[in-house]
Amino acid sequence: MKTKIGQVAALGLLMITTAALAQSKPVAGEVAEGSLKGKTLTFVSYGGIYQDGQIAALKEFVDKSGVTLLSDGPTEISKLKAQVESGNVTWDVVDTGDFPPYVYCGKLFQKLDFSKIDTSNIPEGQISECSVPAMNYGVVLMYNTEKYKDNPPKSWRDFFDIEKFPGSRALDGSGDLSGGMIEQALLAAGGSVENMTVADIDKAIEKVKSLGPDTIFWKTGADSQQLAESGEADMIAMWTGRAMTAVKNGAKYTPAWQDWLVVMDQMTVPMGVKDPDAAHALINAYVGKSAQETLAKTTSYTPIHKDAKPEVDEVTAAFMTNTPDKLKLGYQQNIKFWVENFEVANEKWNALMAGN
Amino acid sequence: MATRAIDSRNTVSAVAADDRRRWFRGQAFWLVAPALLLLVICLGLPLAIVTLRSFSEPQWGWQNYAWFFGTPVNLTVLQRTFAISAWVTLVCLIAGYPYAYVMTAVGPKMRLVLILCVLVPFWVSGVVRTLAWVILLQDSGVINSVIRAVGLSPVKLIRTQTGVVIGMAQVLLPFMILPLYSVMKTIDLRLMQAARSLGASPARAFAQVYLPLSLPGVYAGAIIVFILALGFYITPALLGGPRSTMLSTLIQNQVLSLLNWGRGGAMGVVLLIATFVLLALAAPLSRQPHKTGSTR
Repeated sequence: MKTKIGQVAALGLLMITTAALAQSKPVAGEVAEGSLKGKTLTFVSYGGIYQDGQIAALKEFVDKSGVTLLSDGPTEISKLKAQVESGNVTWDVVDTGDFPPYVYCGKLFQKLDFSKIDTSNIPEGQISECSVPAMNYGVVLMYNTEKYKDNPPKSWRDFFDIEKFPGSRALDGSGDLSGGMIEQALLAAGGSVENMTVADIDKAIEKVKSLGPDTIFWKTGADSQQLAESGEADMIAMWTGRAMTAVKNGAKYTPAWQDWLVVMDQMTVPMGVKDPDAAHALINAYVGKSAQETLAKTTSYTPIHKDAKPEVDEVTAAFMTNTPDKLKLGYQQNIKFWVENFEVANEKWNALMAGN
Repeated sequence: MATRAIDSRNTVSAVAADDRRRWFRGQAFWLVAPALLLLVICLGLPLAIVTLRSFSEPQWGWQNYAWFFGTPVNLTVLQRTFAISAWVTLVCLIAGYPYAYVMTAVGPKMRLVLILCVLVPFWVSGVVRTLAWVILLQDSGVINSVIRAVGLSPVKLIRTQTGVVIGMAQVLLPFMILPLYSVMKTIDLRLMQAARSLGASPARAFAQVYLPLSLPGVYAGAIIVFILALGFYITPALLGGPRSTMLSTLIQNQVLSLLNWGRGGAMGVVLLIATFVLLALAAPLSRQPHKTGSTR
């Protein structure tokens, strides 16, 4: 009898603590009713349909929390640097490219408090000290089906093999360093990506140069789409969103998914924001299931919530990167290496871009 | 008697002009003050900060300049920036000179049409115009389709320096035509008739009378086009390939992507000084026409 009472008491205690824990533990997509009334948050991203979709995804959060959400942009790290340096930070949550939160963690971006963000449904390996992913997409090898009828390229190795697969190539030259692409070039050159060194970057860049003088470095997403729709390049490294639009517009191109490069945007909170708690609450709402479904539906980017099931058309679905088979084929760049060698890698990449 | 009258009139007007000049000197400052203020705040101050940063970041010293001149790609691109700008200026001059001349020779209605033809592209966004050039210049584009249709082999235009020069020249053409026109319209065309009546061939009349008189317009147009071309960014990015990257792209990269404001500043300062040096070298040329131009 005595033991029974003890057991019940222990069980009761356990239940109470679990309940208390559950209460303080955030759930992705949820925010307390009216908790941010009278507060203002400025969300910064890259504009266009993308930011519109993000704002649409945050509508539920705005309605429920009572926050006033302002939208600004486009994201420029240099502007953020100016704000942080002058101590007048007006951007509360910023959507950035892949590298900045790693390179400037603790300098321009705060270390996130993960007791305030539910990250349990975000795909593995995508969270850093200073960021959570904003969405997923990829760089995928698109090839001209009329050119490579019976013998299509299957991977980046074929992309870099100009003898077996003659034809023109187009790569991402939009400015930001593409670490994953350099790693693929290195692999194609017979190198190894394990224990990469700075000298390996040169080896990879030589491989890119071996594609010949007619290699195209597209400058914008629209540029790459134009290349596919007009058939200007036989193989194009393309962002999945642009690849999808090109196919929808009738481009005779097909993806080879082997080792598609995983890319994401990052959600960050700058140093010195006035209300870090509110900024965290926004991110926690943003990574929720229904928010991610809205985002995917309006932008056709891949949601970063594992269970999100956006209603999209067939072509869009074909270019979503979060299906199990595609996740298996995806290639994650060695972010640590690129962050540690950010400056020297950029210098070499930019020299390539400038024709040297 | 008549001569004296003219003299006295000249004296009177000279005195009046003197008065006006004296009054003007007192008031002149206030007339230019708004523009001066704008220049100091929006150009002088930022330029001073950029220069300062080029010496102070990340530490005090010449490091950013040492980096600039120690990196081969920077020098290649700097040289290329000047070469492309020079080509663009030349193309604009060749296309703009006869156009501006025709503008002075036709009636007012036709002139209006010609001015509109120059200005309408001005009202279209630069990005839109550049993308239109992409469609015209690409391998499967309009120009190459025509070339192929007449049985010639296609030309590589997009992502070459030729393509960049064509696109930039179109954007900058009005900046050449308008100064040319404003000078040419003041040239008395009867001077040409006079030269012809004195036995000069049309070519000689042009070379010795018209051309020297129009040179101030040529210099003004060329300097404006050249300097604007040095800072071009969108057109070379979209129409060019790696071999037509200009310095502004590299500056943008340092400032926006790498947050190396010191290096970006140093690149800007180098471009500015190089431009000044080039203009100083060209200055003696532009002074010449004033001597011979006294015929006016």
